Amino acid sequence: MTLVIQNLSKKYNKEKFGLRDYSLTIEKGILGLLGPNGAGKSTLMKIIATISKPTSGILSLDGHDLIHEPNYIRKMLGYLPQDFGVYPNLNAYEFLTYIAAMKGVGGPNLKSRIEMLLEGVNLIEAAKLPIGTYSGGMKQRIGIAQALLNDPKVLIFDEPTVGLDPEERVRFRNLISDLAHDCIIILSSHIVSDIETIADAVAIMKSGTLITTGTQADVIAQVDGKVFETIIDSTELEAFRAKQFVVNTIRQKDKVRLRYISDQPVPSSTPFAATLEDAYLFLTKSNN
Amino acid sequence: MNDFIAMIKGDYLQRTRSYAFLVTLAISLYIAYTFVPAPDANYTTVRIGNYIGDYNAAWIGHVTAIMTSVFLSLIGFFLVNNSVKKDIETEVGMIIATTRVSNFSYLMSKTLSNFLVLLSITGIVFVMSIGIFFLRSRGFDFEFTSFLIPYLFVTVPSLFFISSLAVVGEVLLGRRSVIQYIGFFFLFNVVIANVQAREGFESLTWIDPFGVKVVTMGLESYVKTNLGVDGRVTSMGFNFSPKDEVKVFVFNGMNWPLGFLMSRLVWIAFGIGLVWTSSKFFHRFDVREKIRAVKKSKVTGEIVEHVSPKTISLAALPAITADYSITAFIKTELLMLYRKGLRWFWLVNAGGMIALIFAPLEIAHQFILPVLWFLQVGRWSDLTTKEKTNRIHHFTYAAYQPLRRLLPSQLLAGIILALVLASPLCLRYAMAQEFLSIAGIMAGGIFIVLFAACLGIISGGKKLFEVLFFAITYMNVNRVPVADYFGFPSTATSLLLVLALSILLAALSWLVRSYEIRHS
Repeated sequence: MTLVIQNLSKKYNKEKFGLRDYSLTIEKGILGLLGPNGAGKSTLMKIIATISKPTSGILSLDGHDLIHEPNYIRKMLGYLPQDFGVYPNLNAYEFLTYIAAMKGVGGPNLKSRIEMLLEGVNLIEAAKLPIGTYSGGMKQRIGIAQALLNDPKVLIFDEPTVGLDPEERVRFRNLISDLAHDCIIILSSHIVSDIETIADAVAIMKSGTLITTGTQADVIAQVDGKVFETIIDSTELEAFRAKQFVVNTIRQKDKVRLRYISDQPVPSSTPFAATLEDAYLFLTKSNN
Repeated sequence: MNDFIAMIKGDYLQRTRSYAFLVTLAISLYIAYTFVPAPDANYTTVRIGNYIGDYNAAWIGHVTAIMTSVFLSLIGFFLVNNSVKKDIETEVGMIIATTRVSNFSYLMSKTLSNFLVLLSITGIVFVMSIGIFFLRSRGFDFEFTSFLIPYLFVTVPSLFFISSLAVVGEVLLGRRSVIQYIGFFFLFNVVIANVQAREGFESLTWIDPFGVKVVTMGLESYVKTNLGVDGRVTSMGFNFSPKDEVKVFVFNGMNWPLGFLMSRLVWIAFGIGLVWTSSKFFHRFDVREKIRAVKKSKVTGEIVEHVSPKTISLAALPAITADYSITAFIKTELLMLYRKGLRWFWLVNAGGMIALIFAPLEIAHQFILPVLWFLQVGRWSDLTTKEKTNRIHHFTYAAYQPLRRLLPSQLLAGIILALVLASPLCLRYAMAQEFLSIAGIMAGGIFIVLFAACLGIISGGKKLFEVLFFAITYMNVNRVPVADYFGFPSTATSLLLVLALSILLAALSWLVRSYEIRHS
């Protein structure tokens, strides 16, 4: 199963691009999409989910043109949008039955499948309550359950861990790791650690363009040997920031512990192993 | 003071910078155009006995001002009575609740923002009335004050009062929109009927919030003094009675009694007083949590979650099969229609259906059916907008064949509701073997649902349909034949016309929704 994105662009007006000349090939496994706000992650995901039409470019799944044949992917799509709501007067069973109808699935096992999904996302106790009474995290879990209703082969999760508590986040990560054997999973997040622990490949975006893509090791390699830590006086912080690319600061009384990326480290710095977060911040925030 | 103005400005801009508002303005323009009928039109609006005024500035100014006062007061309430609700839905209200803004200041800002919205529409109507003067007057001089003064004295205070009433309705009846609508409908009709029936200027100025009686009495007095004719203004609206004997006179304006002008200020003060009183009962956005708490405690108390939930394995889940039928959709859509609004309101529907069985056939068809259908306004108005208002459209648009499966299901559910409600009447007609009437009712049910769906899809909200449905129902209750969509009396021509309109609405809904699905 291969999803091909070729020179895809989404233009909102003369000057504003949501996505610009974007090309990427996605195979089975988990692709982590990283990028700051406005990078175009949601735009890309909406286009793949067929709810937004690109201005130009090619999008295909196993050779099927998804721009003209959107129903091809819709049958096997699980999509969790970033900002979604629910019908507040329906309970979880009714809502998931409705979503199942949307996805064109049914049969005698539907009810037990819904029940198992609700158990899996820890909502079985609240399943008969109107969803309007749910907390944000519970609604997010209903969203996750609906994405898995139809035995999806392409799963798109846009900021899926928003509103989940730490334990639920771990459970979610484990869940999609299990799913990755059989599906294409595209996962976007601001939280690098969510991607770091599970993604097979990473794509970093900025201003609607793809900055870099590859395995985590490939991406981290771009800043390997350039990450250092040092401790300076608080008063020197601004001057230091003006010269070096600081990725993290920790205050310690009058001193500050700094983690920074540089080709020319200051004396008394200690080299550290680069992480995906270092690479992400360097690639998206620096002017390089 | 600056903060207060900023609140009004922000709210006003938010409400007017919408596609729905543009559509509302366009419709207002059309309605304003009909206020001064073309010479060959088959209706009149304001008529004193058999006399109508020649189209000079004074006549057009006075007529459009009182027509705007009545009609915009009527539909304006529906247009603006969601300003507090919007702050609840967007949760902006929760931020406002934490600020130092007092309840009265907040509600007054909403009143003034409502007023500005209605004033904007009035401005468009006003400009249109001047345009009509240049289009239809026959050599009369243009006198700007003749246009302006009736609007200032009659229309503007009415709209302020309605703006405050809309806020009071929201505060006291919260999100029970249908009760607000029915309450206002009742109040409006009582006031208008009372004003029309009463004589005596002194008492009228104080019981007429719309300020129209003083103008109609002025017109009657003018005709009596100048033409020696004892004519009466019997209605303000669209009068389709024959125009053969209508005579034209030149109206040169009227004097505005001081008592009337004082009464207009009193109505404004009364509006402010109502807002002040309602501010004592304002929930200050503590409403949602209360509802949640009640619902939770009703079922299980606190929602309990598993300590160690099961893990999900897709392979272990029971297999599902493809099912592209729309039965499940229709079932859920009907369930949502049933659960929408207050449960006890179904008793009112049941009462309406019983009335359809026992009331005289003519009354049942001409009055009870349109009112019974109007009571479903809240259900039909969000038939095709609820995906967006509940932010579920990303699911529905990414569904398998959403246009062929979901949209027809929504329409079918709405039509089923209309026909179930009308079924007692259809049964009576079936027994009387009047099948054309049954066809007329069915076509009416289909039409009104498609009208709701189409306006919802085009405007992206439910207000436009609610306002127009209310206006149509009001006209139906007042026996305006052009508004009859439900076949009373049903003829082959009217049936075909309603069906043709329905097809047009369905096609438009289909086209716009198909675009929306791919351009989310």
